[in-house]
Formats: sequence, C-alpha cells, structure tokens
Amino acid sequence: MRKVLPVVALCFFLPVAATVALSFLSEGNALTLNNYADLLLNCFIFYPMFWNSVLYAGLITLAQFLIVIPCAFGFSQSRARSKSALFAFYIILMMMPLQVTILPNYIGLRDLGMLDTRLGIILPAVFSPFGVVVMRQYMRGTDNSTIDAMRLETNSLIKVLIHVVIPPVKVCVFAVGLFVFADCWNMLEQPLLFLESDRLKTMSVFMANASSYEGGVLFPAAVLFIVPVLLLYGFFSDKLEKGLVFGDLR
Amino acid sequence: MRKFRLRWRTKTTLCLLPSLAGIVFFFVIPYFRVLYYSLIDNQFRRRFVGLDNYIDTLGNEYFQLALKNSLLLIVVAVTLLILIALLVSLALSFGIRKLRVCRAAFVLPMVIPSGSAALVWHSLFSGWDSAAPLYLLFVWKNAGICIVLMTAAFTCIDNAVFESAGIDGAGKFRLHTRITVPMIMPTLLFSVLLSIVNSFKIFRETYHYYGGTNYPPHHSYTLQYYMNNNFLKLDYQSLATAAVLTSLLVFAIVMTGLRLQRRFES
Repeated sequence: MRKVLPVVALCFFLPVAATVALSFLSEGNALTLNNYADLLLNCFIFYPMFWNSVLYAGLITLAQFLIVIPCAFGFSQSRARSKSALFAFYIILMMMPLQVTILPNYIGLRDLGMLDTRLGIILPAVFSPFGVVVMRQYMRGTDNSTIDAMRLETNSLIKVLIHVVIPPVKVCVFAVGLFVFADCWNMLEQPLLFLESDRLKTMSVFMANASSYEGGVLFPAAVLFIVPVLLLYGFFSDKLEKGLVFGDLR
Repeated sequence: MRKFRLRWRTKTTLCLLPSLAGIVFFFVIPYFRVLYYSLIDNQFRRRFVGLDNYIDTLGNEYFQLALKNSLLLIVVAVTLLILIALLVSLALSFGIRKLRVCRAAFVLPMVIPSGSAALVWHSLFSGWDSAAPLYLLFVWKNAGICIVLMTAAFTCIDNAVFESAGIDGAGKFRLHTRITVPMIMPTLLFSVLLSIVNSFKIFRETYHYYGGTNYPPHHSYTLQYYMNNNFLKLDYQSLATAAVLTSLLVFAIVMTGLRLQRRFES
C-alpha cells in the first residue's frame, strides 16, 4: 500500500496537469502561446461568461453565509418542538438531485418573473440546504457555556454570533464556503434552463459550446476555468478536509 | 428574568426563518404545484387524469433507458468509488500519515469544474464507445468527499482499540475487516448514500463530454437529458411526473440509508 498510494494519487492529479500541458500545445504538438492569444484576444464572449461565473458563485457563497450560519445556530439553540422533524426535512432536501428540484425552482422563478435574470440563478442556490446540514452537525461539538456567558453581557444576537458562535466553527465556515463556491462555479443545468440571453450565461455553458469557437480556445479556457477554484483550494484545502465532517447523521 | 429568556428563545427560533422562507418559496410550494401538474392532462384544460401521466412516463422508452442507465451507474460506479475511497482512506489514516500531498491530490478533483475535466477526459479516452470513461470521471470527481468523510471517521477511533487488538494478536487485515471498518459503518453508509445522490449529477460531465448535445449515445442517456428535452418541448406533464417519480426514488433510498445508519447505535 505504501508504494501504491502515491501512484494512485498521481493518477488523480494527472488530468489537471494534462489540461495545463495541453493548453500550451499547438496542433502540431509544439509549445505555443497562440491558444491563449486566440482565447483572450479573439474570443470576446469569454469575458462576460467568465465574470458571470465569478459574480454568481461569489454572491451565492456570501449570501449563503448570511443564511446558513444563523440557521445552523437556530437549529442548535432553538427549543422549538418541530425542530428535529424540520432538520430531517433539510437532510432529505439536501439529498434531492437537481432533476427533482430544478422544475420547482423554475416554476418559483417563473411566478416571480425572474426567469432570464441574474437573480434567478442566484436566489434558489442561496437557499440550498447543504450548508445548514453540514454546519449544524459541526456545531453539535461546541459547548453552550460560552454562549451563556456572553449572554450575561449582551442580548444582541449578532454580537453573540460574531464573538462566540462563529470563532470555534471557522474551519467549517471556510469548508462550506469553498464547497458551495466550487459547486456554483460548476453550475450547468440552471444557466441552460433558466437563462435565454447569452450575456447572462456562465463558463460552464461556454465550455459546452466551445467547439463552435475558432482556434484552440478549449484548453486555455479549461485552464482559466480551473484557476479560481484552484487558488481557493490552495488557501483552504486543509479546512476543507477538517470542516466537512458530517458523515454520521444519527 | 423570565421575559429575557423568552426573548432569547424567540430569537434563536427566528434565526431559522430566512432559510426556511427561501426553501418554502423555491422548493416546497413549487413542489406541490409540480405534484398537481403531474395529475392533470395539460396546462389549459386542467382536467384530473389520476395516474395516467405516471403510466405514460413509466412506459416511455427513453424514461426507462434513463432509469436503466442510472441504476447501472449506481451499481457499477458507486461500488467502485466506495471501494477505492475506502482503501485510500485506510492507507491515509493508518499507513503513511505524513504524505499530505497524496491527500490533497485525492480531494482536488472535487473542486475542478466538470467542463474542464470532461475536456481532458475526451482527449484521453477518444474512441471509446461505452460509458466506462464517464464512470471513471465520476469516481475521479467524487472520491474526494468520501475520502474526507472516511478519514475523519477513522481518525476519531481511539488508539487503545489498536493496542488491545495488537495484544490479542490480530493481523493487519483482520484488524481492518473486523474492527476499523465496522467502527466507521455509519460514515461508510452515508458515503454510499451521498455517492448514489451524486451519481444523479453525472449529467454535467456527460453533457460536456459529448460537447453540449442533447442527444448523447444511448449508454450515456440519463434522467437529466429526458428532463432537458421535455423542457425544450415545454411538456410540463412529463417533466412533473419524472420529477415526482425521481423524488420518490431518492426519498426511498435516503430513508433506507438513514434507517440503516441508525441501527449502528453505539
């Protein structure tokens, strides 16, 4: 096992390295920067789509923090009777694939007149229950005495959240943030089905249509598509490994 | 004092509201409308037809194809994924603890966008006419989360367990099959559950792999294609029925999984 594991790890890493390597090769397998020139200088639709992805994934992640942290805290502190049934519902909803949720989302957006708008992509994703479940499981391990002590000083919920609740679960906050960002960065079905206008669409849609553009833009686009998540992963990978601990839902 | 406590409790309950409101708005209420759509004949006449739509959908050859492919994916690819993730987690947790780089390599694919991954897969596996490359892509992308969950569970095991097992003369293989793996059974079960759920997301990889067409080869036709094509046709009845059927299937799978998990109460 000692010798096999690094080999397997290398196999897992190889596709990423291959993407980068192929982006610098011309059709005659010579080293070149022409592919990048084709993409960055001749393929203007790339820019709005790239920034749309940044905008959607960034805003969804930030908005999720505002929704998820209080909600997870509410689940751990509230004494409401229906709490555990509600949490079970969140778990089940978390497990529901897009094939189930996308039509309800579509109908909700249609009724609100939000189809083909940026908000239509952002809003349903903000309320995805994944973060709530993960963070609630993580908060189970923290003790309440600090919260009680803080409450002697203040009755402000926001102060309690910022000073006492969030610091011990920081790792989980970053892990959820990275996971949500990567997931939204990868979003494909929603822009395909909720959006008509090309200027609102995302990098995923660009990649799916990339064969229709001129020159060798595919691999450089794939590399630039990886870069933002790769950077975030570089900063937060240890948190991702420690913070996503929700395997035991009993 | 009593008033103070009451207010705090109300506040903590109010924390749930924003999330809950969004979920009710975008998921729950529309879901009931979907349920209603699946029971009527069309958008305009709105006549109740009972289970006719369900009979039609279950008899539709493309729905059956999608369902068959999904089940095949679950049986073959999820099994492969869990086996690999389990072996890797065992090696990472008890073998070479210090090789953090290895661990990072397994978790990295989790954040790599499907569009980029499918592109390189296409160059690596050009000429293969089967769903096998996509199965491998699925394993590659989803092993990370399972490995994270399993290594976390393994590191929670008390070292005393190994010492006493070592004194009793248990070999390495027996130690793992009899003690360590059974001890993380709840997490293992959850990983299976999560992977089954993730297998429904294979559409993203498939769609990119076949260059954005809505008509992939039959072996890779999955439920989301069925949904997309009905979206294009604005056939809400077929869509709604497929969504309800999928939700029932997933509900059954999740409930079975969670019930099994609960049986390992320590």
